[in-house]
Amino acid sequence: MREKQIDKLKDYKYGFTTDIENIRAPKGLNKEVIEFISKAKKEPKWMLDWRMKAFERLKNLKEPNWQKPKYPKIDYQDIYYYSAPKSASEKPKSIDELDPKLLETYKKLGIPLQEQQRLNGIAVDAVFDSVSVATTFKDKLNEVGVIFCSISEAIQKHPGLVKKYLGSVIPLTDHYFATLNSAVFTDGSFVYIPSGVKCPMELSTYFRINASQTGQFERTLIIADKGSYVSYLEGCTAPMRDENQLHAANVELVALDNAEIKYSTVQNWYPGDENGKGGIYNFVTKRGLCKGTNSKISWTQVETGSAITWKYPSCILQGDNSIGEFYSIAITNNHQKADTGTKMIHLGKNTKSKIISKGISAGFSDMTYRGLVDISSKAKNSRNYTQCDSLLMGNKCGAHTVPYIKNKNPESNIAHEATTSKISEEQLHYCQQRGLNPEEAVGLIVNGFCKEVLQQLPMEFAVEAQKLVGISLEGSVG
Amino acid sequence: MLKIKNLKADIENKSILNNFNLEIKPGEVHAIMGPNGSGKSTLSNILSGKKGYDVSGEILFENKNIFELETEERAHKGIFLAFQYPLEIPGVNTNIFLKTSLNAIRKARGEKELDAIEFLKLVKLKAKELKFDEEKLNRQLNVGFSGGEKKKNEILQMSILNPKLSILDETDSGLDIDALKIVADGVNSLRKKDNSFLIITHYQRLLDYIKPDYVHVLMSGKIIKSGGPELALELEKKGYENFN
Amino acid sequence: MEEQLKIDFEKLLETSNFSKKNVEIKRKNFENFIEKGFPNRREENWKFSDLNQIISKNIKNLSFYNDLSKPNKIDQSIFIDGLEHNKLVFVNGRIEKIEFDYEEKNKIEILDDLVLEKSNNANNSLLFLNNAFVNKYFKLIVKKNYSLKKPLVIYNITNKDLISKSINLKVNISLEENSSLKLIEFFNDRSITNFININYNFDIQKNSILKNYKIDNNSNSNIKYSFSNINQDSNSVSEIFLLSSGSEFIKNEINCNLNGKYASAFVNGVFILDETKHHEIKTNINHLAENTKSYQLIKGVLEDTSKAVYQGKIFVDSKAQKTDGYQLSKAILLNDNTEFNAKPELEIYADDVKCSHGSASGSLNEDSIFYLMSRGLNYQEAKKLLINGFLLDVVEKITDSEIKNLIKNIMSLKQ
Repeated sequence: MREKQIDKLKDYKYGFTTDIENIRAPKGLNKEVIEFISKAKKEPKWMLDWRMKAFERLKNLKEPNWQKPKYPKIDYQDIYYYSAPKSASEKPKSIDELDPKLLETYKKLGIPLQEQQRLNGIAVDAVFDSVSVATTFKDKLNEVGVIFCSISEAIQKHPGLVKKYLGSVIPLTDHYFATLNSAVFTDGSFVYIPSGVKCPMELSTYFRINASQTGQFERTLIIADKGSYVSYLEGCTAPMRDENQLHAANVELVALDNAEIKYSTVQNWYPGDENGKGGIYNFVTKRGLCKGTNSKISWTQVETGSAITWKYPSCILQGDNSIGEFYSIAITNNHQKADTGTKMIHLGKNTKSKIISKGISAGFSDMTYRGLVDISSKAKNSRNYTQCDSLLMGNKCGAHTVPYIKNKNPESNIAHEATTSKISEEQLHYCQQRGLNPEEAVGLIVNGFCKEVLQQLPMEFAVEAQKLVGISLEGSVG
Repeated sequence: MLKIKNLKADIENKSILNNFNLEIKPGEVHAIMGPNGSGKSTLSNILSGKKGYDVSGEILFENKNIFELETEERAHKGIFLAFQYPLEIPGVNTNIFLKTSLNAIRKARGEKELDAIEFLKLVKLKAKELKFDEEKLNRQLNVGFSGGEKKKNEILQMSILNPKLSILDETDSGLDIDALKIVADGVNSLRKKDNSFLIITHYQRLLDYIKPDYVHVLMSGKIIKSGGPELALELEKKGYENFN
Repeated sequence: MEEQLKIDFEKLLETSNFSKKNVEIKRKNFENFIEKGFPNRREENWKFSDLNQIISKNIKNLSFYNDLSKPNKIDQSIFIDGLEHNKLVFVNGRIEKIEFDYEEKNKIEILDDLVLEKSNNANNSLLFLNNAFVNKYFKLIVKKNYSLKKPLVIYNITNKDLISKSINLKVNISLEENSSLKLIEFFNDRSITNFININYNFDIQKNSILKNYKIDNNSNSNIKYSFSNINQDSNSVSEIFLLSSGSEFIKNEINCNLNGKYASAFVNGVFILDETKHHEIKTNINHLAENTKSYQLIKGVLEDTSKAVYQGKIFVDSKAQKTDGYQLSKAILLNDNTEFNAKPELEIYADDVKCSHGSASGSLNEDSIFYLMSRGLNYQEAKKLLINGFLLDVVEKITDSEIKNLIKNIMSLKQ
């Protein structure tokens, strides 16, 4: 009955390509390419050595295969590991000198970078393929001592901090994709919030894949020193292409005593077409270390894009009284696949964690929540609460819940709840009787289903995310 | 306003309504009374466009056949159903739901959509009229509402959406006497010369408060007798079994 | 160990008179086992219980040949008192008694000259081991429209003569249409460090009811694996209760296929563990037809350095609309070194279903203890009362009142 709506997904709003001249490293994964990247970034020798160590290690690693979504074999020699707009090869000193094509691209994505049009209260680091092309509000942040720049810049200007913390949460040898990233990462954001500072604005990185046959391997490192606070957002989009592109990022967070990091993601990489052709492989390693006492790390994610999403933003609760949170909405439609969740590793005393996961699958898609709660014998008086709810739309899709729960401590409590349900005909009928069309009704009901997570997002993102939830499910009703 | 001709409805090859006829003119209040299983709820479902029935016959609303219209298109035209069992929709704020509904209907009618401030003003007013606890409007739709609150919420929605034809499906069931009065007052205040009502009920007591123009008795899927308000009293005295 | 396996396997073939067909099947299974070996934690199913390690840690010089030529004495004092019942008695893996005194003879059939069926569980190396080494295996058929008048108790007795052996048993039970069976499996172990590997196959046809109570309550040093494969036709019911308490290690694995409409399965279990015991319950409930229902409730009380694992999976096929699946696991950890691991898993491909699971673990509620102590109980009494209350909830799910009482007695839950 509602065929007119089915085609909507083709209108992936961010599917355009920017025609811009690139500098690329030669295709393939080898020592020379890594040297090329390191040289292009003007990195010191210790950084190159670190990359090489990862590359050596990679040779002995195999891709993990326990995940539910399987994918065709990736030819790692057929990928460009570095691609940068030619105009950005020397990073311009001010945004006014930036290539107008890049300015236009970000404007189209809703992220204006120019002084007069900037988003209020949000500092943005714009990453285009393999390089950071601009960072806004740098001066204002400098005043309070907050460092917000590209990781490449940090390696040059703040080597002490980078050396101390890079790889301290995700070791070089962690697993295949994380190690691959360590060898070839190109850019990403670096944040340092000094002791006692509450970061005066939201920090945000906007990732854009533009070039074809290119992987994006960004690296983000956020350090919140004692008693500090930061809220960080990331957004991502890519053009519509028939090929699958690999995005393998590493994100490390470190919270020291009494510090808090809030990390929000709205992931809207190109999901492929309605037949499952093309789309991004989003294989990301995100991990936070609550290193200090009373520290807190909170992950919020809205995952609507990508052909395959495979990520588990995790918290290692090392400091006593530390808190980890994970709020997630994952939506799959058409032939998308997602295997996502979190790990909460309780090591310190009185540590608390909370997991709220909402999964929605429609079309022919497949969704898995996979999570680990591990309370070690030393983590006395720790608590975890987990709630995973799944919503299925139609019987061609799948929803899976795979929680691993380990409790080794008698003074700790773990509670886990999960449900699977569907939108009832009666609920739909009720909304329609009040004048809403089925798409609107589903959007409304699904947003209600996701409310606990949407509430966690900063205002500016929440509105966008609500719309995205509706759009992602278009064509799944009727 | 509403003309039903020869309506026949089956579900899974079981006949529910058969040779059902009814005409409601603008400004009239009709009551349909019938025992359990006589087809009352099926009638309200079919008028609101619920799927799952095999239907034949004719339903004319303002002289246009609405058979092919989707539920929401009927709502846009001004048909409102107060549900016997209003649905709970977790996570959805009642105010937001109401505003989305109202604006969907206004948009379909080519009227200007209300902004948040205009809307809240309207809701405040209506809630006060119906003695509806405003605080509840900031809660999730019908979640944790008592039976009476849910029914009152239906009437509040009705008064805000301002329909032409309101169908009240056993709105009186589960209401105590105070709530019943509030609901009745709400309905009475909406009675105008262009607005019609179809009140579906099992018992006569709601009709003490909302005086119908016509009463119809529904048994085994068809109207077996029609008359004035006195018919309801007769029915109450005799009971359905001895009627006929 | 491979050397020992080969010697023992050849010895088994030499001393038994298996049919040619069976020898062929056994060889195939033997080769498969040699290739795979005992499962270890690299297999997802054995993630929390590395059997390979457990066996090598607990059993010295495990051997696989078991001389079944001489009968064993049955210690009659083991038999359940105060419950009239039919008997199937295994002593040290040898069948010693088959007794159906309470039943109509033509309503029950027992076959023991059978061709091994091909196992359809290609990944389970312990089923290979079972098929390779099982001696006689039995098939019990309950005829159409017959309900056994009294429960059947399968006694699994091992005595002091049995040391460091691998015992493999297999029993297939078929309930024809409209029939019913209450089956109690009762372990009594006085033997030392053996590996006991039991495989049940149940075929429950239309409108039939299986009630299966498995009782492992005597403290012993054996390592056990019990695999039950259940196929259920429409309107059939299976009710399983597990008392998992006695053995050093036991993993009860249940694979239940709800093949017919309105079939339902209930799995309830209790872990009561102390010392170094390590027990696991693993379930796979596969909803393969419409309107099927499953309900699982598992509770555990863990003391000393014991460890319990519950892995429960509900699978719902896209055909299985209107499925109702429920799972709840709870554990009380009484000591610092106890461990409870759970993996409650849902895999769902139909949209009109109601599925949920929950899991909770933690300490005894100190406030409740305090409350009871304020009413005059001492700490130990208060604790016992709370634990009993916690476990009683599961036992109350048993639908047969006579057997429920028996199990309450065994668990000393009688108030």
